Amino acid sequence: MERPQPRAGDLSWRLSSHPITLLFFLGFRISSLLFYILGSLFTENFILVFIVTILLLAADFYYLKNIAGRRLVGLRWWNEVNTASGDSHWVFESQDRSGSAESGAPSQNATDKRFFWLALYAQPAWWVVLAIVSVVRLLNPIWLSLIVIALILTITNTLAFSRCDKFSQASSLASSAMYSGGMAKSLAGGLFSRLFRG
Amino acid sequence: MAMMPSGTSGNPYDSLNNTQIEQDLIDPDDANINDLDDPTEPTSDRAPLTGNIQNSRNPLPQSYLNSSIPGEDRRAPQNTIDESVWDTLSRDVMAVWEKMRQVLWPKYLLGGFLQRGGGLGGAERGEGDSLAGGFRGIAGRWPDADVVLQGGMSEGLRDWDLWGPLVFCLLLSLLLSMTASSEQKTVVFSGVFALVWVGEAVVTAQIKLLGGNISFFQSVCIIGYTLFPLVVAALLSAVHLPMIARIPVYIVLIGWSLAAGISILGGSGVVKNRVGIAVYPLFVFYVGLGCLCFIS
Repeated sequence: MERPQPRAGDLSWRLSSHPITLLFFLGFRISSLLFYILGSLFTENFILVFIVTILLLAADFYYLKNIAGRRLVGLRWWNEVNTASGDSHWVFESQDRSGSAESGAPSQNATDKRFFWLALYAQPAWWVVLAIVSVVRLLNPIWLSLIVIALILTITNTLAFSRCDKFSQASSLASSAMYSGGMAKSLAGGLFSRLFRG
Repeated sequence: MAMMPSGTSGNPYDSLNNTQIEQDLIDPDDANINDLDDPTEPTSDRAPLTGNIQNSRNPLPQSYLNSSIPGEDRRAPQNTIDESVWDTLSRDVMAVWEKMRQVLWPKYLLGGFLQRGGGLGGAERGEGDSLAGGFRGIAGRWPDADVVLQGGMSEGLRDWDLWGPLVFCLLLSLLLSMTASSEQKTVVFSGVFALVWVGEAVVTAQIKLLGGNISFFQSVCIIGYTLFPLVVAALLSAVHLPMIARIPVYIVLIGWSLAAGISILGGSGVVKNRVGIAVYPLFVFYVGLGCLCFIS
C-alpha cells in the first residue's frame, strides 16, 4: 500500500529543514519526561532519578533557548543585566523569515514551526499532568519538588518564546509594510480612523 | 516571519496584532517611548502625521508589548542568530570557564598580597582600577574589603548562567549523601539541595535589601560558582579524610570560598559602612556548609 505523500507542515521529520536539530530537540524534551516517569515507577532510588532528570531538564532548557529556537523558528531570547543599576530585562531577537525575494530572507519551514510550538506548549502540560498523578498516587512529596523545578524551567521557556514571537511579528509587520507598499495603505487606514474618531 | 494569511496560520497572535500595530506604524521616529500612543487608549489628535516614516523597524510600538514581560526587540551586538551550533557551545563554555577562573584566583586575595609585596596594586584588577586605585593613592592604606567592594564588576560576570550553581549544588548534595546511612541518603540529599538554594536566595535578598546593584540571578550565579572549594571539601569527606586533617584543610577551603565570594560580589555596590552586614550571611552560609562537610 502506498503511503500518502506528506504535505508541507505535516509532522514528519523528513520535511524538516533541520532534521538533526529537530531530533535532538524532541529527544531532550521527551527523555526528561520519560526518565522521570520510568524512574518514579520502577525504582526507589530518588537521588539518581533526581540528578539525571535535572540534568536532562537543564540540557533541554539550554538547547531550546540557545540552539533549537533560533534554528527551527529563528527566534532567540536572553536576559541582560544593566551593570550600573543591577536591573535585568529581556531581550528578544528574531530572524527575518519572510522568504521574500527582495530582502533575500530565508523562508520558514512549516514542519519545523509546528513541531517547535507543539513541543513548546505540550511540555508544561505534561508536567502538570504528572504533578496531578504524583499527588493522586500519594508519592513521597519529595517528588513534587522535582516537578516544580521542571515546571519552572519549561514554563519560563514557553513564556519567553511566545513573547519573542509576538515581538518578531510586530517587527516583521512593520518591515513588510515597508517592502510591499502597504505603507500607504496603513497610513491611509490610520489617517482614516483618526479622522473618524476625531 | 511574514504576515500569514489569517486562518491558515497556527499562531494565535495574528488576529490580535493586526489592528493594534497599524495605528502605531505612523508614529514619527523622533518620538520616544512615552510619546507613542498607547493603543489600549483612544488615540488623541496630537499624533502628527507628518513624521519621517523611513524608520519602520527601530522604535517599535513597544508600549503595548511591554505589558506583561518588559523587553526590547533588537539585534545582538554580535549577530548570533545564524551562527553554527559549535560557535554557540564554545562561547558558552568559555563564559563558564571565565567565571570559574574568577573563583579559582580570587582577586581580593591576590590584590592583598601584591599590595603587601611592593605597592603594585591597581594593575591586578580590571575596570575597578581607577576608582579603587584612587582610593588607595589618597588614603594610602591596605586594600580592605571596603575598597574591593567599591570596584566594578568584571564584564564576564554580567551574563549570568545557572550551570555552575546547578552542577556544584548537585555535586555537593550527592557527595554529602554518599556518607550518610542508607535510610537517610534521600533526606540528606534533598536537605542539602534545598539548603544551598535557599541559602543563596537569602544571601542575595540581604544584598538586595542593603541596596546592592546586582540582579537576583547574577548573585545566585556568583554564589553558586563560589561553592567550588566546598565541593572539594565534600569530596574529601566522601573519601574519609581523617578528622584531624579536616580542620586546617576545611578552614582554608571555607576561607577560599569567602574570599572568592567577596571579591566577585565586589561590584554589587553595597554601601560602604554596611559591608560587614552584607558579607556576614555569606560567611554563615559557607561556614554552615563547611560544618556539614566536616561532620559527614
